[in-house]
Amino acid sequence: MANWAILSGIEGNLAAYEAVLADIRRQRQPVTDLYILGDLVGLRGDSEEVVRRVRSPQRGEPIPQVCTGWWEEQCFSLHGIRGLPDAPELVERYGIGAVKDLWEAVSRQTVQWLADLDFGFHELDCLLIHGSTVSYGDELTPETPPIQLCDRLIRADANTLFCGRSGLAFECWVEPGALRSTVTTLDQTAAPQDQEKSPRRVVGVGNVGRQGCQPSYVLYNPGTDQVSFKCVQSSPARGFGAARPKK
Amino acid sequence: MKLAVISCIHGNYEALNAVLSDIDAHKADQIYCLGDLVGYGPHPNAVVEMVRSLDIPTCQGCWDEDIVEGLNACDCSYPSQLAEKRGHLAHEWTNRAIHPEVREYLACLPMTLRQDNLCFVHGSPNSQHEYLLPTMDGFAALERVLAAEADVLFCGHTHIPYLRELENGTLSVKVQHPGQSETHREFTAPLKRIVNAGSVGEPRHGRPNATYVLYDTDSAQTTLREVPYDYEKTCAAIIEQGLPPIFAWRLARGMEFAERAEDAGHVCER
Ligand SMILES: [Zn+2]
Ligand SMILES: [Zn+2]
Repeated sequence: MANWAILSGIEGNLAAYEAVLADIRRQRQPVTDLYILGDLVGLRGDSEEVVRRVRSPQRGEPIPQVCTGWWEEQCFSLHGIRGLPDAPELVERYGIGAVKDLWEAVSRQTVQWLADLDFGFHELDCLLIHGSTVSYGDELTPETPPIQLCDRLIRADANTLFCGRSGLAFECWVEPGALRSTVTTLDQTAAPQDQEKSPRRVVGVGNVGRQGCQPSYVLYNPGTDQVSFKCVQSSPARGFGAARPKK
Repeated sequence: MKLAVISCIHGNYEALNAVLSDIDAHKADQIYCLGDLVGYGPHPNAVVEMVRSLDIPTCQGCWDEDIVEGLNACDCSYPSQLAEKRGHLAHEWTNRAIHPEVREYLACLPMTLRQDNLCFVHGSPNSQHEYLLPTMDGFAALERVLAAEADVLFCGHTHIPYLRELENGTLSVKVQHPGQSETHREFTAPLKRIVNAGSVGEPRHGRPNATYVLYDTDSAQTTLREVPYDYEKTCAAIIEQGLPPIFAWRLARGMEFAERAEDAGHVCER
């Protein structure tokens, strides 16, 4: 039976990623698929090691399916691969010093590997993506205006939109009520149409590695359509390899 | 106050003249233009000069943007590869033909214009390249009007005029944070309208006549106008200028010679 683990926002925090992997290994129902919704790299920690670890899963671990996030896009911008040159978003948010830090944190070779990653995944009736189909920077939260959440779900063409940009863990059901639409053209006025739709949801998958947060991720069972939120004790061995699974 | 809203003139001076006469006859107080002054048609400079001389507030269209910025539209802007190739030919021709001050003028056009509760854009509030088709999901359409912070959103770009009224839009949201109790939010939108002004110079509603709209700000009465003009004159000029003859063919029929773009909601990532 399929059981997905979905996470985002490692941001170079290898210890936190190891802690989540250990928690994934501990699940009674084995995790069959692992999705990482961007932000492998960041300013702190060891982004190179995180990328190496993601690229070389250990025996028995699901092979991570990774898409790009906000931090990867900053790398592409810095390295002139795509987007605006010189990472203006990065500078605006983290100051000019962040340019040098990110340049040093992620090698050109790694950036090139990141540049080949997908923008998101359509799986079953789900879209898994960092922001939304509008943009990698689109930050959906439970406070996002309902009509905007509804629009992002329509654009996603999915019943469940898993996203990681906000770093928050939440499940937000959006249920469209009646909407009466009347279209008049030069040749006719069509009878008004009532649109009603079944509820769909946006799921924030939390974040693994952000500073001051406990690592969090979600498990999703496509068979039952259930989302469960996981919060993990971070390993005390920060910055170093593995938090070994407890026997 | 009576407004006339025009869009997508596309270098068709004959059509513009006919529409301006029709607007005069209907005694509109103010004209707005939703862009695409150039492209496809044989008289880009004359059209821009006319719009400028009449001081018509104008927003920037997809063609106006591309002439200034260079062609950077992704494939999604064209309904087919053939259409894309024709579009490129027209782009090159227009790029050679327009005067420097016309280019300058197009470069300075704003993305949106506003008057009270009305907002004017070329494609959508997000992009000059997004098509707001009348078949678009009602809630997605509602989101565009709300994103524009308007009651009436005027757009063009599809070249087929329509009025869409969206009433009683309601949404309910249930939020679950891990370890917390569920919270609820309700949302109701008042009546919102999308008015597509069609196209003055490159109509695609199945007849060669120019289209535009009249809007009464007091009664919200919207009138879709269809204006006959001497399209054969424009067709002859298209051929004479060495533009792709298919532009004349489709102008005489009022249709796009290609299948329609499939994904109306697509916003390209360029
Ligand atoms: Zn146009
Ligand atoms: Zn256009």
